[in-house]
This record gives sequence, C-alpha cells and structure tokens, in this order.
Amino acid sequence: MSEKLLEVKNLAVSYHGYAGEVQSVRRVTFDVNKGETLAVVGESGCGKSVTAKSIMHLIKVPPAEIKEGSEILFNGEDVLKFDKKRLSQYRGGEAAIIFQDALAALNPTMTVGNQIIENIRHHSKVSKKEAMAQAVELLRMVGIPQPESRVKQYPHEFSGGMRQRVMIAIAFACNPQLLIADEPTTALDVTIQAQIVDLIKDLQREKGTAVILITHDLGVVANIAHRIVVMYSGKIVERGSNLDIFHHPKHPYTNALLEAVPRLDLVNKQVLTSIEGTPPDLLNPPKGCPFCTRCKYCMEICCTEEPPTEDFGDGHEASCWLYSLEKPAEDAPFTWEDK
Amino acid sequence: MKKTILYFLKRLLVMLFTLYIIATATFFLLAATPGDALTARVEKLPDIVVERLYEKYGLNKPVMERYVTTMVGILKGDFGESIIYQGQTVPNIIKEKGPVSARLGIQQMLLGVSLGLLLGVLAAVKKGTIVDWLVVALSILLISVPNLVFALMLQQIFAGTLAWFPVIGWPKENIWFGGWEYTVLPTLAGCFGYIASYARLLKASMLDVMNQDYILTAESKGLSRFEVVRYHVLRNSFIPIVTNLPMTVAMCITGSFFIESVFSIPGLGLYYVNAVAAQDVTIVMGETVIISAIYIAVVFITDILYTIVDPRIRISGGKK
Amino acid sequence: MATKTRTLTPEEAARVDLGRFDAEKIDRPTITFWQGAWYRLRKNPIAIIAMVLLALLIVMMIIGPTLSGEEYIKINAKIKNTDPNSQYWFGTDSMGRDLFCRVWIGTRLSLIVALVCSFIQIVVGCAYGGIMAYCGGIVDNVMMRIVEVINSFPSLLITLLVMMVVGKNVAGLLVAMCITSWCGTARQMRGQLMQLRESEYVQAAQMIGAKPVRIITKHLLPNTISILILNLCASIPSYVFTEASLSFLGMGLSGDVISLGVLISEGRARMSFNAYQLFFPALILCLAVLAFNMLGDALRDALDPRTHQ
Repeated sequence: MSEKLLEVKNLAVSYHGYAGEVQSVRRVTFDVNKGETLAVVGESGCGKSVTAKSIMHLIKVPPAEIKEGSEILFNGEDVLKFDKKRLSQYRGGEAAIIFQDALAALNPTMTVGNQIIENIRHHSKVSKKEAMAQAVELLRMVGIPQPESRVKQYPHEFSGGMRQRVMIAIAFACNPQLLIADEPTTALDVTIQAQIVDLIKDLQREKGTAVILITHDLGVVANIAHRIVVMYSGKIVERGSNLDIFHHPKHPYTNALLEAVPRLDLVNKQVLTSIEGTPPDLLNPPKGCPFCTRCKYCMEICCTEEPPTEDFGDGHEASCWLYSLEKPAEDAPFTWEDK
Repeated sequence: MKKTILYFLKRLLVMLFTLYIIATATFFLLAATPGDALTARVEKLPDIVVERLYEKYGLNKPVMERYVTTMVGILKGDFGESIIYQGQTVPNIIKEKGPVSARLGIQQMLLGVSLGLLLGVLAAVKKGTIVDWLVVALSILLISVPNLVFALMLQQIFAGTLAWFPVIGWPKENIWFGGWEYTVLPTLAGCFGYIASYARLLKASMLDVMNQDYILTAESKGLSRFEVVRYHVLRNSFIPIVTNLPMTVAMCITGSFFIESVFSIPGLGLYYVNAVAAQDVTIVMGETVIISAIYIAVVFITDILYTIVDPRIRISGGKK
Repeated sequence: MATKTRTLTPEEAARVDLGRFDAEKIDRPTITFWQGAWYRLRKNPIAIIAMVLLALLIVMMIIGPTLSGEEYIKINAKIKNTDPNSQYWFGTDSMGRDLFCRVWIGTRLSLIVALVCSFIQIVVGCAYGGIMAYCGGIVDNVMMRIVEVINSFPSLLITLLVMMVVGKNVAGLLVAMCITSWCGTARQMRGQLMQLRESEYVQAAQMIGAKPVRIITKHLLPNTISILILNLCASIPSYVFTEASLSFLGMGLSGDVISLGVLISEGRARMSFNAYQLFFPALILCLAVLAFNMLGDALRDALDPRTHQ
C-alpha cells in the first residue's frame, strides 16, 4: 500500500438558504495516495465541487456549514482545524486548486506574471526578479509560447486553453503535493481538453503530485485516473480502480453513466442511452438510496432504507441493495462473481 | 497609435459641438425669458437714457444679430461686460469666485470621499456584523437629509446656539489656507452626501468583487484575508469609484449652490444664481459656457480613467 | 468473495415501477420572480419600516390638513409665530397660519411634483429608449448622440435657466426638472432592451414562433420593470430634493403655492427665533426621502436575482 496523502472522512456540508437546508455533501469518505490521480465523477449538483472547495477549506461559513464529525486529514493533520498561519502555508504551498472557468478565476486587472509571482513569493522568500524568472519558467513548462512577453499580459489577452494553462502554472508554482482540478476542461473545446488533460498528466508524473480530478465527463477520466469515485446527490455510490469502474461497474448509476458516454470503439452500433429523470432535491433528500427514483432495478427496500456498502475486493466498493438479493436478478448485469 | 489620435480628435470635435449646443441653448433660453436685465432698472428713467442703455448692451438689436455677436465673442474668449455690475467681466468673476468655490469643493470632497471610502471598506469587510449595519444605517440617513437641511441645521446649532463658528462669510485673505473657522461648517454640510454615496458605492462594488472566482483563486494561494482585500478586492472594486470621482470633482467646481447660499459664501454658485435671477445675460452666458466646458472635459477624463484602471477596455472602443 | 451484508426478503426485493415517483413526487412549489421578490421584501425589516413610513406619510398627506381643524391660509396676526402647542401642533408661521396644515399641504405638492416628474421621466425615457433599441442603425446612432450631448449638460444650470423662462409655477417646475433627467432612463432602457433582444431566450422564443405581444409581455417587460421600479425609487427622492432646493434658492415655486421647499425657505427666515418653523418641514422632507431610499435599497436587494439563496 502506498502512503496516504489525503483522507476525507465523513465530510458533510450544507447550505442554508431561505428555502431550507440544502445538504450538498452527505457524509463522504475517500482518500488519495501520494502521487496518484483520483477522479471524482458525477453530474452537476452532486456535491463534487463543494467537496473540492472543502479540501482547500474555501467554503464560506455562513451560508455554508461544515457538519460536526467531518474530517479532512492532510498528511494526518486536519485541514478543517488549521489555524490561519498553517492554512496559509497549506493553501497554494501544499495543495492547489484550479477552477472550471479560468477567465473568471484570474484577476482581470493583474498581469498574469504578477498572479504567478504572488503565489511564489507568498511561500518562499525570493526577490521579485527571481520570482519573475520562475514565473517565466512555469509558463514555459505549461507550454505557453513566448513566456517572456506573455507574463506581462492580462488574462483577457489569452485564449481559453492558454488561460487554463496559466491557472495550472499558478497551481504548480510552489510544487504542491496535491492538485485539485475542479472541472478543468469543461469550459474548453474538445481538442483543447485533451491537451490540458495531457499537460496535467505529464506534470503529475514529473513532479509526483497527487491529483484530484473532478469532472462529469467520464471520457476525460479514462486515460488519467488511477482510481475513480462516483458521486451521486452528495454521496459516494461506487469507488474502485479505473479498470473496475470502466469494465466491471457494480452500481446501476455507474452503469447508466457509462452507457451514456458516446463511444467510437465499439463495432456493433450501440444505442446511446440517457438517464431518465432528475437527481433528487437535496433540500429534502430521499430516505433510501438517492438513485432509487431513476434506477431501472429499483426495489421496495431502496425507497426506505439506505443501501449497504458492498466490498468487492481491492478497494472496489458500491452501495446497492442488488447484492443483498438471494440470487442475482436476471435482468441486471451485476453479480458478485463477474470479477 | 494612429487610432488613438483619431479617437481623441473625434472626441474633441464632439466636445466642441456639445459646447456649441449648450451655448446656443443658453442664449435662446435667456432670450426667451420675459423681460430683461434692464426692465426693473429703467422703469423711472427718461426714454432717451433707456434707449442709450439698451444700445450700450446691444439689447435693442434683433435676436439673431445678438446671437451672432455673442457667439463670435465667445470664440474670441470675450463674453462681454456684466449688465448689472459695471466693469465686471466673466474672466474677472472666475478669477475672483473660482478659488472660493474650488476650496470649498476640494475640502468637502477630500473629507467626504475619504471618510466614505473608509466606511465602505469597513462595511464590506465586516459584512453582516454590527459595523456593517451601522454604516448602512448611517449612509442611508445621510443620503436622505439634503445638503441644504444639513447646512441650516449646522448653522443653527454650531454657529447660532453654540456660537463656535461664524454664522456666515468666508475668509477674505489667504483664500486657500486662511480663515478655517469659516470653512468648517460649509465643508461638513457638503461632505455628508459624499460620505454616504461613496460608502454605499464602494461597499456594493467590493461585495460584488468578493463573489468573483478570482478571489477564491487568491485565497487558494494562501493569501491572508488582508492581502486578498488589499491586492485583489480593492483594485477591482475601485473601478466604479475612480470613474465616479471626476463627476464629483466637476460638481465641486461648479460650486454647491445651496451651501454657498446658506452661508453667504461668495462663490461661483451663489453668483450664478444671482446672475440668473437678475437676468444678467452676459454673465450667465459666460459662466454657463465655462462651467459646461469643465464639465465636458471631466466626462472625457472619466472615459480615459476607465481605460487606465480596467485593462480590458481599449481606448478606441468598448469592452473587448 | 466477501459475505453478503444481509439477504432481502421477497417483499423488500419486489421491483418498483418508476412511474410511481412521478405521482408522488413532492416538488417544491415553483415561485415566480415576483413572488420571490415579494417574499424577500417582506422578510426585510428595512422594507417594512419604509413601507409603514410611506403609508403613514400618504395618509397624513390626504387627511392631515383637516385633522387640526385649522385652515392653512387663514392669516391671524394675533397668533403669529406661536410655538407648537395643543391647538397648533406644529406652531404657526409668521403670519399666524397653522403650520401643521401647511406642512401636509406642502408634502402633498412636493410628492405629487416628484411623482409626476418621475412618471414623465420614465415614460419619455422608455419611449425614447424603446425607439432606439427597436430601430437600431442610424436612428439609434443619432438619438444616442443627442442623449450624450444632453447628458454632458450641467443639469442644475439648465434647470435654473429653464425655470427662468417658463416661470416660477408648478408646470414650469415640472418642465425644468424633467428636461434632462429622462436621458438616464432612456440609456438604461436601450441597454437593457438591446441586451434582451440579443439574449438566447428571447431568440428562442422568436424561433418557436412566439408573437411579439407575448415576447413583450413575457420577456421584455418583466426584465425591464425591475429597472424601472428602482429608477422610480431613486428619482422620487431626488425630485423632492431638487424641488426643495430650487424653492429655497428662490428659483422654484413661489407665491401662494406651498411645497416643502417653500416652507423650508420661509422657515429659514425665522430660523434663529422660531427654529420649529424650519424643523417640521425639514423633518417631513427627510422622512419622505428616507422612506423612499430605504424602500429602494430593499427593492434592489429583493429584485436582484443574484441575492437568491
């Protein structure tokens, strides 16, 4: 077993609005090993971004509330209990985050160079000149041509993909042990998406950084993630290695997600299916399995009781009642044995 | 570069055209006003004297002819002589009254804007606390009391009842730095409005900026709250402030009519009101054109300031 | 293979038809934009105070002058400059007229003038802005230049001049105060309408063949009306201010017409002897302006979709 870098335990986050309490994240537990890539997959509103922001301790309290009992251990230390000083070392220095919309995430009135320098100088005592030299190197590293002149430009002078590269440069400025990429490719063209994913992959391999890749796009995940966590309506429904999730999905939701991904590699023409219905209202989450209202295999118990988490070995787990049946359902592709 | 020069030229032309429209409008408004500056004065004079007086000021000529004369005069920078006060000319008045209004305006602005900005930052940073609530309450109160009422109130309490300051008047010597006791009340009365509006403006703007994603980025770099506010929030939230400032300056230059009137301060505003009331055509013409020119220039400066504080805006066009 | 956590009974394992979730789906009641805005407004104590204050002022404006049983024009030299007492609640002025009556009569005029001006401003501004946005091209260009020129007038100077030309009466005051003010509204309307016309949902509505009437009532109006409401709340106090200030300078209303400005101006003359003559009209003026400002603030928060939580 490799060493654990980050352990998220029982994380629960709620937002208090005038309509009531929205339970964005409901007791999520997962961990990230040093140098590995963990993908968190799920559709919009399932709590993945909130989880990402929680790890950086960026959740605004209020309106949000991090529930009692939540723990986020970074090298064994609880991030949620960090004091200001420790937090300011942690953010940017040990863990960094990049966001979906790089234009919004970059200060429009500050040159790109200064935004990179800011991170460098906050975490190490270097002169401005030295930091600028480093910034140029960082831009070169993330593949921005003519970095010497580009550092003096403003974010709006960059294209979408270039901006995301700048964000990555800022994130890698202090060689963090953990990079959280919150939907880094969603706002980009498909051709650029692949470039950005490759860039993250290369940098990760080079620097040994652990990456949490948050996305709704399984296609992005396939060639980069070591392990995958599937979230649905604030909960983790399935987790496992890349192979497990793509080839032996155990949860009906994961299966439905995979069927919804268009594929060119299949010879026999496959019908592209969508998942009927909408995710449950997090103001008033269902008692049983969150997916029960959209699940093809929904049973009586699914509506009333939370499903148990079944262990399929090697860290492959899924929360579903189907595995408690006396004999496997005939129409379901899910069995204990297919592993 | 060529584009920039062309842009400036175009703007200059538009400004001149605007000024011309204002001068024309003012002229015809004055011409349309029933009676003229001499009506009251000549009532009891013999006809021959009246005729001569009218001839002296050219008031007997047809409107169009007077219009041409006036416009040509303005082009030459000659606005003519006051009809009411003999020998008084527009440049003289500006030279004499300008500094008075300017000092009052600058003092009001410095005090009002700086206090307002301070309160605005405080309210935004301490959002949701009692401090925020107090600033909001104070600014809404201040904005709801007209300058005029403030001026009268201060005059009544601090000059009348308590007699700490002179009731009316303005320092006659050392016009820029002397006679502080005269300036305290008018400055206070005028600055409340600025305090309120700038506090509200900055607070709204800062809250807007604080909701942006790049603030999250800044926080995720490990910057402290102070650093985030200092380096990221303030600069971006000052864009509306910087672009609002020139208007405040323009308002200061034109003088605060009401405050000058309450405290009998011999500034441009008071003089203008008196000139309008007395239908002193030449003076009104002159002052209107000059004040408008300043005003228009300030609008232009505002546009340039935009491009300086916000790199996204190019000089020759709107947002990229 | 790991052990099963539990084996389900046949009842528990019975399949569920997904259709049943549609039936028993308990949705949050959908609230319209205006319901949401009204809800937020009601929850805001400042809005409540403002609305109560406004209601009180309006009621007093209507019945106030009859309450004290005095007449506002009755001159009575014997009781001139009486301090407030049980008969003359706000005292009397320098001609022995009941100030209580006069203040409410003045409020009436001041508010009516402000309302009419705001109305003119919005109607003219909307029409002008609407035409600009609708026609576009050269018409828009020319009309926009006109607005820009008017906008660079120092408005107070123009108001003073116009006041001189049209005379110191109510009609003159209306003209003088509205002559430049509609430009701001026109500009805002144009911007908003252009933006809306380009917006995807309006284009989508056009695409599916919605009639112009429907587009105007369902898309354009609701999205511009909040701007207009805020405009109204900001312009009313500013008109009350301007009227009072003009009258104070002797450039506004004069003669027998009573407005808050006229009363303040009269009160100022007796300020050092009978401060109440200045105090009451000024107080009512401030209260009225305060109420509108507070309401405007609360409305801005309530109408801003970004404050939805």
